[in-house]
Amino acid sequence: MSQYDEVYRAVSPAEFFYKYREIAGFANPVRAVYQTVRELVENALDATDVHGIPPDVKVTIKKADETQEFYQITVEDNGIGIPPNIVPNAFGKVLFSSKYVMRQSRGMYGLGVKMVVLYAQMTTGRPVEVITSKPNFKRIYYFKLRIDVNKNEPVILEAGSWRKTRDWHGTIVSVTIEGDWNRAKSRVLEYINRTATILPYANIALLTPENEIIYYPRVVNTMPRPPVETKPHPQGLDLEFLSSLVKNTGFETLEKLLINSFQSIGEATARQIIQKAGLDPAKKPESLTNEELLALVNAIKSYDKYRPPSPKSLSPLGEEIITAGLKRAFEPEFVTAVSRRPSAYSGHPFIVEVGLAYGGKTPIGEDKPVVLRYANKIPLLYDEATDMVVEVVKDEISWDNYMVSLPAPILVLVHVCSTKVPFKGVGKESIADIPELRREVKLGIMEAARGLKQYLSKKIREEEAKKRAENIAKYIPEVARSLSIILADEDSFNAYRSEVVRKLTTVVAKRTGVSLDLIQGIVKSVEAEAGV
Amino acid sequence: MRQRLGCSGVTSKIDLEARGKALDIVKYSMRELLEQIERGEKPTLIMPKRTLSNTIYDLKHKMLLLGPELQKRSFTDVNEAKKFMQTLLMASIIYEALRNNEYPTIRDLYYRGKHSIVYRSIDGKRVSENTWDEQRESDSVIRDLEVLLSVLREDLLILSKEKGKVVGNLVIRSGDDTIDLSKMGHGAYSIEPTPDLIEFIDVDAEYILVVEKDAVFQQLHRYGFWRKYKAILVTSAGQPDRATRRFVRRLSDELKLPVYILADSDPYGFYIYSVFKAGSITLSYESERLATPSAKFIGVMMTDIFGDSVFKKIIKEREARKTLEEVATGIEDLKPKTPYLSESERSNFIIKAKTKDLERAVELIGYKVADVCMEDKDAKSKIKRKEGLTGYPWFATPHWVRELCIFFNTLSKLEIEAMASKGLKFLADKYIPEKISSGDWID
Ligand SMILES: Nc1ncnc2c1ncn2[C@@H]1O[C@H](COP(=O)(O)OP(=O)(O)OP(=O)(O)O)[C@@H](O)[C@H]1O
Ligand SMILES: [Mg+2]
Repeated sequence: MSQYDEVYRAVSPAEFFYKYREIAGFANPVRAVYQTVRELVENALDATDVHGIPPDVKVTIKKADETQEFYQITVEDNGIGIPPNIVPNAFGKVLFSSKYVMRQSRGMYGLGVKMVVLYAQMTTGRPVEVITSKPNFKRIYYFKLRIDVNKNEPVILEAGSWRKTRDWHGTIVSVTIEGDWNRAKSRVLEYINRTATILPYANIALLTPENEIIYYPRVVNTMPRPPVETKPHPQGLDLEFLSSLVKNTGFETLEKLLINSFQSIGEATARQIIQKAGLDPAKKPESLTNEELLALVNAIKSYDKYRPPSPKSLSPLGEEIITAGLKRAFEPEFVTAVSRRPSAYSGHPFIVEVGLAYGGKTPIGEDKPVVLRYANKIPLLYDEATDMVVEVVKDEISWDNYMVSLPAPILVLVHVCSTKVPFKGVGKESIADIPELRREVKLGIMEAARGLKQYLSKKIREEEAKKRAENIAKYIPEVARSLSIILADEDSFNAYRSEVVRKLTTVVAKRTGVSLDLIQGIVKSVEAEAGV
Repeated sequence: MRQRLGCSGVTSKIDLEARGKALDIVKYSMRELLEQIERGEKPTLIMPKRTLSNTIYDLKHKMLLLGPELQKRSFTDVNEAKKFMQTLLMASIIYEALRNNEYPTIRDLYYRGKHSIVYRSIDGKRVSENTWDEQRESDSVIRDLEVLLSVLREDLLILSKEKGKVVGNLVIRSGDDTIDLSKMGHGAYSIEPTPDLIEFIDVDAEYILVVEKDAVFQQLHRYGFWRKYKAILVTSAGQPDRATRRFVRRLSDELKLPVYILADSDPYGFYIYSVFKAGSITLSYESERLATPSAKFIGVMMTDIFGDSVFKKIIKEREARKTLEEVATGIEDLKPKTPYLSESERSNFIIKAKTKDLERAVELIGYKVADVCMEDKDAKSKIKRKEGLTGYPWFATPHWVRELCIFFNTLSKLEIEAMASKGLKFLADKYIPEKISSGDWID
């Protein structure tokens, strides 16, 4: 071979990710533990709330070896389960997924659990174990499998099934990896806590290797509306997508193809687009040349009268759930939530939701409120500094105007849900600065903050009224005593005095609009100090 | 002129009656308050407003009186609650003192009422606050009670520190004793704090001479002035207190004798005269009983020192005359005056006026007169900030315009003591008798 020759070969996706596991978040033993829990929990949640099932998720982490840092991580859910013929590919073939559709879910790549399996394989060599059953199934299925990295194929080591004796459905996935639990622990706990914060409709339990049980019980029965699969919106289209669309289509004409493959394209719109592209509506889709395809893409994208993308594919949490979650987490003195109306960027629908908690056990925001960020119900824990949402909270809202004087116990929760969340970079930890999205985030926070302002100004008014009442009530005993000295007989002095106190208390309560109890409390405190 | 005055047996019975009446007044007012509370109304004290804006000069009676404005003090008004409490507290202490046959001073009352109110605030803090901190506060409450109950503190048997003294051919009864004020030796009778309980029994006098300065009073006393000129000699020893004013008023009313005031020749002395005559602004509610509207200012006048040539020169000018005429009509009809002091005496006795004197003078007569009569630019700049003041109405007379005009022009003042040092004989045998007989006074 000369020095200018190279050896060429293709690698399977499994091999690629096996080599470059840090891309998927498995860079080191600390991240690996955290990432494993995350991938398994997110799959468990996708199998439940996306389908309208109130989640019951149990995470168990056990030390799996006497001497080595091996941990068995098991996640059990009560979701829809997986058909047995699908299980091997779902867990053993990289880039195999049920989530490549226009519907909001946590998972999107078809990679997550396979990375876990691969990481287990390379660190402990132990296979993944899966137990699963769908709701209408009579049997429970059991698999033990590994991945053939070169072929990107599952290797089934064991498989079996048994009859269901109770009405169970769901999935239990168990892997054993090498990891640094001690250093990952706080991250895992934070992740579970933050996940639970917005899922008050879920039971989430975590059993740690130290046998600690961390449990977030369900506090609401309301579920977020499940997302409905929709057709893609024409604005989000590109040439590549269109080429693949025309190749394996069952439609005889171009017109039919457009009408049936996209949302918000009807007959009239389809005609206009095709005319603009200079094509024949009756043309067979497969026969389109590359130039024709390009013309068609341009015509589709330049058309500007589409209805906005349908938000049906989204599953926002809703104000009630956000409120309940914040209440459970922080027992705040004031809480409010705002679910903005659907909006869109580049053909992708999105909804911004904002929750705001104040007081109680809400953590103190120093120079800005504490920010909890979520994308499609997944907590974003890192890269806060570069996040658009954080920028808005810090720089675009003057909290003073909302009667918040920082530092204060105030927290803002922002949930962005979309069929395509615009993440900044591959880390999936911060949200990019898209003008449409930024605007919605800002408006949402402002709306929530207005609610807080109303509450605070009412509270201040009430406090002032109380202070005023206090500044009168403290003199009641003295006034009553003085009046009694002048008007009462000496032997009935005490009874006379108490009667005047009682009447004055009533008058002051009535005139100041403050509760009788408060006035009485102050009067009693004066009397107690004076030894009356 | 010797008068026999009605002689009723004065014992402490007078005291007892006064107490009984005072107790009733306090009780009545507080019962009214209690009835409001019983009806579920906000307890409210209604009283004349004690403010400068509600102080008016009554032209007919020639005295300062409280105007018609009322002040409502409700317990449930947070800005008034403390004052309300203080008012009732003070009422109760006074009531107790009356009942126990005591004679508290205003300082006593301050101490008796001062204690702390301790309470737990709504935010859980233990807060301690005094019923009142300074005597200024409790004094103010006493004044409030006086207008609320429309009585004077003396009627409530509250004593104040008094410094007025009197000698003369006058026999009085005070408490159970009969006192001859012509038999005080080198001393004098110090006017009791409750002059209304004094009874005049016998008098042999022509007029009453009130001397501002205690030292001059003593000199005249030792000189035998009052015996020689049949005068009742009184001193207020400075700013007149209530008892002295009331005493002088009673002398004037009941003995029907003219009252002459002898004070320093400076704006402060003029003001003391006006307090005797018209009342003071802070205590205007008492004028009806304390002021002596017929009191006359006998001296020392500016014209006694300088004559009227300075003034004549000033009003020669048309503009100046017109302006001064606007302040008080009749400045050209004033009787001419020659000075009592020679050029050299003047330069020995007069003192240079201070900024404070200038300011006070402007307060009395208004800025216009100062503006017209003052030549010294430096002095003028000092009173610039008083521009716009119009002066007190009872000073807007031709006489006072002339007096103060001369003051502004000469920027000089003179103390009565200076007249005495010219010779006590001069003061006692010439200056005073001559001025009285020739009617050279300001009314
Ligand atoms: N607990 C579960 N219950 C039901 N189905 C599951 C479960 N876990 C995995 N699956 C199925 O396996 C598929 C692959 O999961 P995997 O985590 O690899 O990818 P994904 O969730 O689709 O996307 P991502 O790579 O973003 O996680 C999922 O699409 C889902 O259909
Ligand atoms: Mg997944």
